[in-house]
Amino acid sequence: MSVVVVGYVPHPRGRAALEHGVLEAHRRGASLVVVNSSRGDALVDEEFVRGDRLRALHDELAATGLTTEVRQPVRGRDAAEELADVCRETGAELLVIGLRKRSAVGKLLMGSAAQRILLDVDCPVLGVKSPPREA
Amino acid sequence: MNEAEESVAAETSATPVAQRPGRFSGELVGAVLLAALGVYLLVDAGAIAVPGSSNTVGPRFFPYAVGGLSVATGALLALRVLRGDRGPADDGEDVDPDAPTDWRAVAVIAVAFVAHALLINVVGWPLAVALMFAAVATTLQGRLTPAAAVRPFLVGLTVGCVVWIVFVKALNVALPGGVVLEFLTSWL
Amino acid sequence: MAISDLLGGFADAITPVNLLFALLGVLLGTAVGVLPGIGPAMTVALLLPATYVLEPTSALIMFAGIYYGGMYGGSTTSILLNTPGESASIMTALEGNKMAKAGRGSAALATAAIGSFVAGTIATLLLALVAPTLVEVAIGVTTADYFALAVLAFVAVASVLGSSPLRGLASLCLGLYLGLVGTDVLSGQERFTLGIPQLSDGIDVVVVAVALFAVGEALYVASRLRKGSVQVIDHKGSWMTREDLRRSWKPWLRGTAFGFPFGVMPAGGAEIPTFLSYATEKKLTKHPEEFGHGAIEGVAGPEAANNASAAGVLVPLLTLGIPTSATAAIILAAFQGYGIQPGPTLLTTEGPLVWALIASLFIGNAMLLVLNLPLVGLWVKLLKIPRPYLYAGILTFASLGSFAVNADPLDLVILLGLGLLGFAMRRFGWPVAPAVIGLILGPIAETNLRRALAISDGDLSVLVDSWFSRVVLILALLALVGPVVLRAVRGRRATPAELARDQEEDREVQKAANREGWGS
Repeated sequence: MSVVVVGYVPHPRGRAALEHGVLEAHRRGASLVVVNSSRGDALVDEEFVRGDRLRALHDELAATGLTTEVRQPVRGRDAAEELADVCRETGAELLVIGLRKRSAVGKLLMGSAAQRILLDVDCPVLGVKSPPREA
Repeated sequence: MNEAEESVAAETSATPVAQRPGRFSGELVGAVLLAALGVYLLVDAGAIAVPGSSNTVGPRFFPYAVGGLSVATGALLALRVLRGDRGPADDGEDVDPDAPTDWRAVAVIAVAFVAHALLINVVGWPLAVALMFAAVATTLQGRLTPAAAVRPFLVGLTVGCVVWIVFVKALNVALPGGVVLEFLTSWL
Repeated sequence: MAISDLLGGFADAITPVNLLFALLGVLLGTAVGVLPGIGPAMTVALLLPATYVLEPTSALIMFAGIYYGGMYGGSTTSILLNTPGESASIMTALEGNKMAKAGRGSAALATAAIGSFVAGTIATLLLALVAPTLVEVAIGVTTADYFALAVLAFVAVASVLGSSPLRGLASLCLGLYLGLVGTDVLSGQERFTLGIPQLSDGIDVVVVAVALFAVGEALYVASRLRKGSVQVIDHKGSWMTREDLRRSWKPWLRGTAFGFPFGVMPAGGAEIPTFLSYATEKKLTKHPEEFGHGAIEGVAGPEAANNASAAGVLVPLLTLGIPTSATAAIILAAFQGYGIQPGPTLLTTEGPLVWALIASLFIGNAMLLVLNLPLVGLWVKLLKIPRPYLYAGILTFASLGSFAVNADPLDLVILLGLGLLGFAMRRFGWPVAPAVIGLILGPIAETNLRRALAISDGDLSVLVDSWFSRVVLILALLALVGPVVLRAVRGRRATPAELARDQEEDREVQKAANREGWGS
């Protein structure tokens, strides 16, 4: 069975990626692997889903009727590396990621996780922007 | 709240807990060194010159007292450690009590700090800080590649320069800034 | 009389510059209270070099702000993250985190903040009232009495702070030794300098404090760095309702009543009064079923006790010059940095300074109340700083502070050496605070002892000549022997195997708590 991987963060861009991931998985008859990783190097990481939010995510995934799995690696590595790992391991057909809106200067300063992902990951990558009203 | 792996008695107890058999406790060394320090105090206190013909308590008395207390405390503590008593290692939000000791991190930080100390008067405090900051942060990240050290270095350089400007230019603390930064900020 | 002095203190403290330092202090204090691994003692130690450039009043106002702010910050993380940074916050975490999980985080934060304000204000008022009276008593204190007080502080600190009295004593010995190094004040003789000229001035308190607190902590954390993060509970829900207020005000007052006296006592600490306050509230509450599931009384009482004891600690510091906590010891070092010796004469010689300090405590408390609740979001953001940067930053400031003392790289090498000592002490479970208190109080004790014996011509009986010193020395003996006797009475429980089993039980509980809170 083919696999669609989604890089998920609890932001509008992550929601958008998840929506498109679900659509793509239905279209391809594939199973869905949702990845939400944390470097785990700070006491607080608000992008790491847990507690009520994690339960809500599981409920939401169950309602899609797809075969789904949530992976939450915490190994001190960047999201790009974790996603590349999961894609390689599952032999993913497609990776869906959310893109944040950023100016050229911001990009210069902060680098870009999306760029790292494009360079690291071997399978096709679908980049989704968050809906404009929520951005 | 303070219990950690050292708390498990190694030799004498038959507790049903996971323990590392025959594990040597560094605390024994600490206790013995404390007793040795006490002996040193007792011996060396005799060498302190006592001025004049003072018949009251002079500069030797307190060292003798501290030395005696150290010997007694060190010896008692060594006995307790030998009998299997372990001090609970310190706890903290960022401390993982179950993690094995990462001696490499300790060594890197120690070396980086000494290098930093020796570099201050050569390259200036901000750059010396940046180098130490990069070494420490990169080690703690757990990845020691040059690429992984770039960001810590830049962060460290920023912190070093900002702190230097605040403390030297605003608070007049004496701190060598290095040729470049001192030239650039000479107008301040 | 005290009132007019206090008003004069307010006049000094309300200058724009001093208000600014009070604000800076409470902001820094709250920040370090929130941040893991950094406590008020470490922060004040790192900022001791500020005494070289700042006015005494400004610097001490800032330090007092840090001291109070640290308490507030600690309660925030206890409630929202369930990570009590110190043992005095455990009780707050117990009920506060449950409240946050039940969607009442805002109410928990509010009752903690207002309770801290109420307790801090009342306790500071008590400090202002008690201090002049106590000074009048203390002014008749002889050098022998003073020596007895120092002994009591040593013994109490060594036996109360930390896991076992013996380890506290070991730490105290190290501090006393470090205090001996250098030139003897009374005779001018060099002691234990190993012939190194830089050591003839003694080892600088800044270097020792920074090394033991900051460098030692950084090394220790680095050796066992935790991976993973904790869940932040959203502080949603309404602020305090009328009902919450009705249930909180009595615990606030009772908590204050517990906390202040314990703070005043040598090494009474904040831990015991918070436990007592919690137990009392649990007994008196009309809602016993809520305890363990987020009872507001269980946050209000202990949090008030914690803050009141913090103010109580300042009483022996300002009236007798006896520090009973690590932070107080370092504030004492700050006084000494200005050539001021805290003691019975402090209030007469440095009256305006002390009253400005006390006034600034009121101001700082009010600032904390106003700032803390709206800024909770900001404090939580602070926790997103990655640990590698946080500890590299701590080392940066450690270098700054120690190098600024003499501009001598050798100081930094000594700093690292003592930092390694602090690292080892943390591994062995030797508390660090007794070493710092021994270092600062040791020379004071020695000087008083020798002056007393010089007056009596070497007759040791002078040490137990007055009722005061007899009582104090008996208390010291009790503090030393008490725990040993208790253990003998309890008998069986003290065998290593049983101790280990007890500790293992605690550890299981701790692990279960961790599993709940920490990521992977």
